[in-house]
Amino acid sequence: MTAPYLALGLAGPQLVELTGDPGLLARWDRLPVAFTVLGLDRIDGSAPASQTLDSSAVGAVLAARTDNGRFLVVASPQRDHPYNLARRTVSLGHLSRGRSGLLIGARDGYSARTPDGASAWGPPLTAETAAAVADAVRKLEQSWPHESIIGDRETGILVRSHEIVHADIGGAFPIAGPLTAPEPPTGASVLAGWGPGSGPVDLVLGGASVVVTPLGAQPPRDVTGVLLQAAAEQSLGELLGAAEGLLAAGFRPVPAGPLRTALGLAPASRAVAGRAAFPEPQPYPSL
Amino acid sequence: MTDRRTGHVLLGVNVLVLGYLPAAWQSPLLAKDSFVDPRYWEAIGRTAERGTLDAIFLADGPVLGDPAYDANPIRLEPTVNWGHVAAVTERIGLVATASTTFNDPFELAERLLSWDHLSGGRAGWNIVTTRGAAAARNFGLPDVPLRDDRYDRAAEFADVVRALWDSAETGREVRHHGELFRMQGRLRVPPSKQGRPVLLQAGGSPKGRALAGRVAEGVFSAELTRDGAVEHYRLVKRLAREHGRSPDDVKILPGLLLSLGSTEQEARRRSDELHDAGPASYSVQWLSQSIGYDASKLELDEPFPEEVLAAPADPQTFQGSMGFRESIVAQIRRTGPTVREYLKQTRYTGSGHSGFVGTPEQLADHIEDWFQAGAVDGFNLQPDVLADGLEVITDELVPILRRRGLYRHEYETDTLRGHFRAGSPSHGLG
Repeated sequence: MTAPYLALGLAGPQLVELTGDPGLLARWDRLPVAFTVLGLDRIDGSAPASQTLDSSAVGAVLAARTDNGRFLVVASPQRDHPYNLARRTVSLGHLSRGRSGLLIGARDGYSARTPDGASAWGPPLTAETAAAVADAVRKLEQSWPHESIIGDRETGILVRSHEIVHADIGGAFPIAGPLTAPEPPTGASVLAGWGPGSGPVDLVLGGASVVVTPLGAQPPRDVTGVLLQAAAEQSLGELLGAAEGLLAAGFRPVPAGPLRTALGLAPASRAVAGRAAFPEPQPYPSL
Repeated sequence: MTDRRTGHVLLGVNVLVLGYLPAAWQSPLLAKDSFVDPRYWEAIGRTAERGTLDAIFLADGPVLGDPAYDANPIRLEPTVNWGHVAAVTERIGLVATASTTFNDPFELAERLLSWDHLSGGRAGWNIVTTRGAAAARNFGLPDVPLRDDRYDRAAEFADVVRALWDSAETGREVRHHGELFRMQGRLRVPPSKQGRPVLLQAGGSPKGRALAGRVAEGVFSAELTRDGAVEHYRLVKRLAREHGRSPDDVKILPGLLLSLGSTEQEARRRSDELHDAGPASYSVQWLSQSIGYDASKLELDEPFPEEVLAAPADPQTFQGSMGFRESIVAQIRRTGPTVREYLKQTRYTGSGHSGFVGTPEQLADHIEDWFQAGAVDGFNLQPDVLADGLEVITDELVPILRRRGLYRHEYETDTLRGHFRAGSPSHGLG
């Protein structure tokens, strides 16, 4: 059996450390781990830490300032709508050149409370709702195929826009689509869920295959991957040091490249063709 | 007014993806998918920063228009896109548009403050409401709320966001029980170098201007005439004063569509070639949306009928921008063009936003004229094609303005709010 890969789970205070210290950021970028979860404490049931940052805002910084590090942005439908979330996900997919993905949880521990405990957009805060978000984000990212961008100066056609389809999503979040940007050239973003019942995702964290191990505990070796999770009061330096030690002790290094390739995942399957969002473009007259 | 205005103009660039003209993507400087290429966006940020510009703006809406002939409808999400550009720049301010109609105030407050912290205090939020049924259908609704309802939501939304930003500083929970939002909680995002993002407002409706006077620190307006601009400048500054603020707390920056060349003739040729390379139906469609009337039904070689110029039947359901419509109608009434003449004329004079076709020297004259007249605190420049138009702003326009004492030589402030405050004091308010 091949050795497991290593992944890292950061809590709020470590997001502040990672983005505030160029030395730590460079050290993180050098680590051949599979991926890093940007704020696992947001959705794992932890009490909120003293500090955190929005996960996609951290992802935007990592996409720009690093070359190798891969990451999962963390979100929940408690206050985030899947259309808005899909837009940030596809944007990070382009800007990170495929190094990013999305981890969806049912609840956000940092979120404000409402009198009736409801979500901002209506659906209940359940695993089923989180699964509906994953389904929506995937369909939206695939609503605009990258190959439709042709940039033909002869005909004046930039995009064969009749190949863009409505997502026509029903259920908890009815969304017509399409998305405002094309699918990244590296394919639809990797989607991850938290624990059992995660729905149609590429990766389940906290299940039998990718096991969560608290920093300081002995990680298993007979699994696909180990997610080493720091508690809020532990430092990023401690986490990176432990990761460096485990990689030196036989955890499988994962070479640089897109997240989907790093995890050995096939390209996401595409739904059958949807309703065309626009008419077939034709060469045009000028005024 | 005989006294000469002191201080410097504010200069922003409204990055309409590749440029405001549909044919911008055909520039030989661009690849077919530059609009999603991180190198393209990084170059925009670095070039603007080389010119010590105050800010770069990104428009937005949660809906895709047809990108068949034009990259303008294609939109990466602005907080992520500008978050990326902020990470490769150090001084330039960055303004992201985000809708109050289709966001949640807690989520957006946390995201904007995080980005502001990460950018070293260079973030701004352009507060907009969203129009159009197509956007509504991305959020499970058949259509958007009526205009007044959208602005009521925008006002409460902005109040919640500001209270939450306070909570990040004080550590005290916000208990908000309003008409539209009810929540209890606080942000745990570290403070940013400028405290909190700068607020901007872009609408020209009465409720939009009222929101601007109450909370905005910058207004991205649409002005076609200098007299109209002076009037709106004084109106918004007066509204700020009525809300107990200093008129200097709100800066006015109208958009200005640009085609620049080393001679006026070259600039006109550039503009004509870019217009001719794009589809004519675009100008007709654009006009239809802007005036709330199907312009394809108009005779191209006849003047605009009076009933078309009259106010839309129901301002609550009219989907266009009230500010744009007002400035377009005023311009048509002034010169009485045929429809074809108007559509061609707007190539040089702009439509909705005012336009400028000429040399950098002439542009500097225009900026100085409006600035000295007390019509603006600065401009939000909108080049026809960013890939080379932004370089001309940085390398040619800015040095001219510096020589005239209208612009700084180096950054003297390092946050967006700092840049705004360093601009010239308000002018001509009596």
